[in-house]
Amino acid sequence: MLAGWWIGSSLLQANVTLLLLILSVLAAIVALLFARMATNYVLEPVRMLWQAILHVSPEHADAPAPNLQTAKVGHELINSLVLQVYQLASNSGKPADKAQIDNVAVAIASSLPLPVFVMDRNQVIMYVNDTAAKYVGVPTNELMGKNLYSTLDLAFSTTDTFDSWLADAKAKTLTSSRVWEHVRLKLPSRQEMLQFDMAAYYNKENPANVETIMVLFDHTKRYGEADDENGMLELAVHELRTPITLLRGYIEVLDDELKGKLDPQMASFMQKMQVSAAQLSTFISNILNVARVEANQLVLQLHEDTWDSIVRTTVHDLGLRAMVHNKTIEYTPAANLPTVAVDRVSVYEVLSNLLDNAIKYSPDGQKILVHTSLTNDGLVETTIQDFGAGIPANVLPHLFEKYARNYHNQKQVSGTGLGLYLSKAIVSAHGGNIWVRSKEDEGTTIGFTLQPYSMLAAELKNSDNKDIVRGAYGWIKNHSLYRK
Amino acid sequence: MDESVSVTPPLPPIPVKRVLFIEDEHFISELYMHTLSKAGYNVKVVFDGLEGFNEAKTNAYDIILLDLMIPSMLGIDLLKRLRAEVPDLRAKILITTNLEQTKEHRKEIEDQADGYVIKAEITPRQMVDFLSHLA
Repeated sequence: MLAGWWIGSSLLQANVTLLLLILSVLAAIVALLFARMATNYVLEPVRMLWQAILHVSPEHADAPAPNLQTAKVGHELINSLVLQVYQLASNSGKPADKAQIDNVAVAIASSLPLPVFVMDRNQVIMYVNDTAAKYVGVPTNELMGKNLYSTLDLAFSTTDTFDSWLADAKAKTLTSSRVWEHVRLKLPSRQEMLQFDMAAYYNKENPANVETIMVLFDHTKRYGEADDENGMLELAVHELRTPITLLRGYIEVLDDELKGKLDPQMASFMQKMQVSAAQLSTFISNILNVARVEANQLVLQLHEDTWDSIVRTTVHDLGLRAMVHNKTIEYTPAANLPTVAVDRVSVYEVLSNLLDNAIKYSPDGQKILVHTSLTNDGLVETTIQDFGAGIPANVLPHLFEKYARNYHNQKQVSGTGLGLYLSKAIVSAHGGNIWVRSKEDEGTTIGFTLQPYSMLAAELKNSDNKDIVRGAYGWIKNHSLYRK
Repeated sequence: MDESVSVTPPLPPIPVKRVLFIEDEHFISELYMHTLSKAGYNVKVVFDGLEGFNEAKTNAYDIILLDLMIPSMLGIDLLKRLRAEVPDLRAKILITTNLEQTKEHRKEIEDQADGYVIKAEITPRQMVDFLSHLA
């Protein structure tokens, strides 16, 4: 019985093994069929793409184009990809069409949200995008064909202007690029001053006659916040001026009314009050004017004037200041000086600042000498000489810089240092030069030149205005009027 | 002060000039009233823009000293209206201010006025000298 069971069990095991074997073969066949079907569906797009590449390839000119209608998976994607293959093939297979490239370039520039200006080799504007026209508030057709310098009166914070960069690039290189921070532009069409950073690219050999491309990055708001600080300063100055007006006025009235009635010491106190009040007034004007120079807002109007009369007035006004400090000013005018082109108020400030310094740094009882002369170049030169302690050699190279007298040399030279900085800005705006010669323990001579009116008469004749208007810029105008 | 106003100048070579001073700062107007009167000018002070405009319209003055920051009507508006409404105004108009202007505003003012002075930068005596040269 046991043997019968064993025989029966062996037969059953053989059948099961056979069945499993059959099932495994069937499963493999089904899997192969399924995999083939899946491969056809999934890899078809790749195959079509490959067929498209073969079709456009010069080495496989006979390969047929893929039939995109038969794509069963990713129909839209495969259409798009194959079209791009054809597009690329058409671009690379033949030379690019120039007009087509130009159109693409213009389309790109037009869509840029940044103002773009394109200039030829004469700085004539060839193209501006819509953003640029909107930015400067001038229609595109009124900008095109105009000279850049006559259209955009750019002002820079350093002498490294667009104009100087371009002149340098033209002279020395084939291509050049440059970025400027904080450039200013005031346009009649816009109320506010535009302020921006600027990038430019120069290419001498561009066959399309495009020589320079300029892009602006507007920062009017950010830079404008600094201007608001100047507005605050102007308001503060206004508030300070009212009490100074009164102080000076009442002192003068008292001086008039009490003349001859005061003992010598009281009379001397009265004079010192007068001088101090006037000095305060000068100081406040200096602060405001320095802020204006920095903000490119100090504008001078040059008129024909007699230099001798201006020097005499200033020497007279500062004479009292010199006297209360026990010093005297001696003025020796040159004979037959030509008339000068000056902004009377501003050159008065220059003379006043220079004389004030000489008074400060002269020892008691010393003279201060003022001379005028005509230089060999035909310029009117004025010198102010004192016989004081002189200026230390380490200060001299920086004398006309703002705050040249800082805490490093405060012990050696007192004062704010604003007066000379301002004087240089004003003299430069007049087209003159200012210089200093000093030796310790011997004294200092500061001189400056002014242009005779005849030198600027031609400019006045060509101007629509009756005045010659100049900016006393810490800011440097892009295309200086002085440039020939 | 009243005494000084009533001082009779020693026979001026020209008739006494009438000055209208439009200025809201009382101390400043007092100061200029004193000095100008002593120098022989007949001075009337008004402290308000609108009142100043009405007074100026009478065309009875030789010189108008005009502050810019004044109540009721700003100095620049007064100037514009005066030029528009009284084209044959005989007075010379001198702007007297301590307020700084942008170059555009200053140009606009100077085009319509005969002079522009910063009060803090001159004394009343210098003002008298200035007026004597104002043709």
